[in-house]
Amino acid sequence: MDSIVNRFTARPEFDEAVLSEEEIRDCMKPQSVPTLSLPPISQPTAFLRAHTDDASNPDARIKIAHGTTTLAFRFQGGIVVAVDSRATAGDWIASQTVKKVIEINPYMLGTMAGGAADCQFWETWLGIQCRLHELREKSRISVAAASKILSNLVYGYKGMGLSMGTMICGYTKSEPAIFYVDSDGTRLKGDLFCVGSGQTFAYGVLDSGYKWDLTVEEALALGKRSILAATHRDAYSGGSINLYHVEEKGWTYHGNHNVGTTFWETKEAEGSFNNVPTEITANV
Amino acid sequence: MSDPSSINGGAIVAMVGKDCVAIACDMRLGMQALTVSNDFPKIYQYNNTFIGLAGLATDVLTLSEVFRYKVNMYNLREERDIEPETFANLVSSTLYEKRFGPYFVGPIVAGINSKTGKPYICGFDLIGCINFAKDFVVGGTTSHQLFGMCESLWEPDLEPEDLFETISQALMNAQDRDAMSGAGGLVYIITKDKIVKRLLKTRQD
Amino acid sequence: MYAEHFSEPATSHVASAPIEHQFYPYASNGGTILAIAGADYALLAGDTRHITGYSINTRFRPSIHTLENLGGPERAIVVAANGFSADGDALVRRLAQRAEWYTYNHNKPLSVSACARLVQTMLYGKRTFPYYVHTIVAGLDESGRGEVYSFDPVGSYEREQCRAGGSAASLLMPFLDNQVNKKNQYDAATGLPQVATDLPLEETLKLVKDAFSSVTERHIHVGDYLEIKIVTKEGVKVEYFPLKRD
Repeated sequence: MDSIVNRFTARPEFDEAVLSEEEIRDCMKPQSVPTLSLPPISQPTAFLRAHTDDASNPDARIKIAHGTTTLAFRFQGGIVVAVDSRATAGDWIASQTVKKVIEINPYMLGTMAGGAADCQFWETWLGIQCRLHELREKSRISVAAASKILSNLVYGYKGMGLSMGTMICGYTKSEPAIFYVDSDGTRLKGDLFCVGSGQTFAYGVLDSGYKWDLTVEEALALGKRSILAATHRDAYSGGSINLYHVEEKGWTYHGNHNVGTTFWETKEAEGSFNNVPTEITANV
Repeated sequence: MSDPSSINGGAIVAMVGKDCVAIACDMRLGMQALTVSNDFPKIYQYNNTFIGLAGLATDVLTLSEVFRYKVNMYNLREERDIEPETFANLVSSTLYEKRFGPYFVGPIVAGINSKTGKPYICGFDLIGCINFAKDFVVGGTTSHQLFGMCESLWEPDLEPEDLFETISQALMNAQDRDAMSGAGGLVYIITKDKIVKRLLKTRQD
Repeated sequence: MYAEHFSEPATSHVASAPIEHQFYPYASNGGTILAIAGADYALLAGDTRHITGYSINTRFRPSIHTLENLGGPERAIVVAANGFSADGDALVRRLAQRAEWYTYNHNKPLSVSACARLVQTMLYGKRTFPYYVHTIVAGLDESGRGEVYSFDPVGSYEREQCRAGGSAASLLMPFLDNQVNKKNQYDAATGLPQVATDLPLEETLKLVKDAFSSVTERHIHVGDYLEIKIVTKEGVKVEYFPLKRD
């Protein structure tokens, strides 16, 4: 095990009898970051914007999945994470079954908003870095450190067109923590965040029902209800709701809830969503 | 995204059956990503003829009133109901009047001719070119999805109840793949002496 | 001192960067692909028409690739990368090479899930100069169940029951939702939503042929022939089915 640890340990002193020159050079790199190939022109960033970024250029030929509602909040019983599952490319609904919570390890979750590939790729990569930290330091990485690895990474790519808005959620010792990290390089610690095209709708419900003393059951219901509201009003959010609860012993999954059925159950139970007609109205 | 015909969203479809026609629409009114209303039907009835108007909502409402006025004037002058074929030509000429500053709509017309009893459906582009169809016509932001559904589900000579099932499945599954339409569905099944109108309870995301 | 050895340019415009004339490295070659996973099979289908603009370059260019694998014919993986075919071909060729190396290095078959992760890293490796393709990978897992993975151009991926990609994906996908995943279908007796079950291969083949025949009617990029590759425990079987040529 120690030999594996050593291989990935970035310390200047090496036993040259054990490691080859090449391996030492390998280990000197702060982190193993994959290389990305660039278009052979003087302004690669402009190229990328012209071809892939559909926010600044709606006619971009390469459609990259966008649009989301995700939330996470801290409370008395830990952290609740709730997300929708829709992926859109323009107005086209590419998928209704996306996994927007990335299970970095049994103790840490990352959420996904913005470019699907950017989030999926770099958060799996973050999982690797967290494991290497564990092997090197013989202790679990803090949420602060993990989120900083990610924010430093994306900052290195600033201006290259990465698009991600993510929440890194987990426990450091016995303290729950949420860090918001985005592709501009922002990194914020906080109690409550909503991220994505449907964030305002989710904030509306979440803020009105949030308090620190929520029970676990209430907190999960509130997270789910907030996403439901967002899927209803935001065209780019929908599909189903994925729920997670993070505790000191690790996270637990609380199911996939299809919006198609959950909506009508909620409407019936609460007497809410009265904007939706259930029979032919005078208007019709 | 600032394309006028896809700001508000919408899906419309019409189908021919055995001595019957069906026309259906979604219920969403949006402003880009924001869903403003779930109670915005896009089908209008004039005598025994129906028109589905998908496109820019302001033009949908304006045109629905223009057609109401024109059909009322027709009724007063001719002292009879307007036939679907006649109404289609009225729609066409109304749209072409605005050739160089068009209404941003893609209408479809459906009805049964009261003299011959023959089902009639047709579609238009935004400046009034008529698309006569024997099987089905589609319109709105969901048109690609609707083409795929209709082309694979539709068959000739469907009875009214089967036609209802077919058009409803076509509409619901098509709009579930379009972010800009959905939030319910409204279906009219039209036979010579009966009009049945049903609201579809669909997913609300 | 050396100035006399150099001549001044006629006009003294000094560009700070090299002059570029419209670097546009992408094209679209049409076509559509479709994959469905079943209990004991996985299937990948695509039409064979190859186009640029309104011109048909060829009516028969099969585009579903088979990656031979260790562990017998049932471990073969089928892959298609639809969109810009030069990028698609490059991707598939490089993937085939990497898959072969994998089997040499590890002396075990490349699982479909590992292949999917490999495709992600390859696509994301060109995040800033993407392959202009929609990729689908299909095969059987260790227990013999069908699996399908689909990718966006820069490598985000997901395991699915079925997926359509390419020009006419928007026409095919809602039909698949309805017929394969039973979306918007309710049980007549109980009124509850129907749940998707694995379709038998014969039924799936009928569905695929129907779907492509329909799409051929309404999409000009699709037609000529349908190529279907089916992975079962017997290995990969190929079927061709004529589509309309107009």
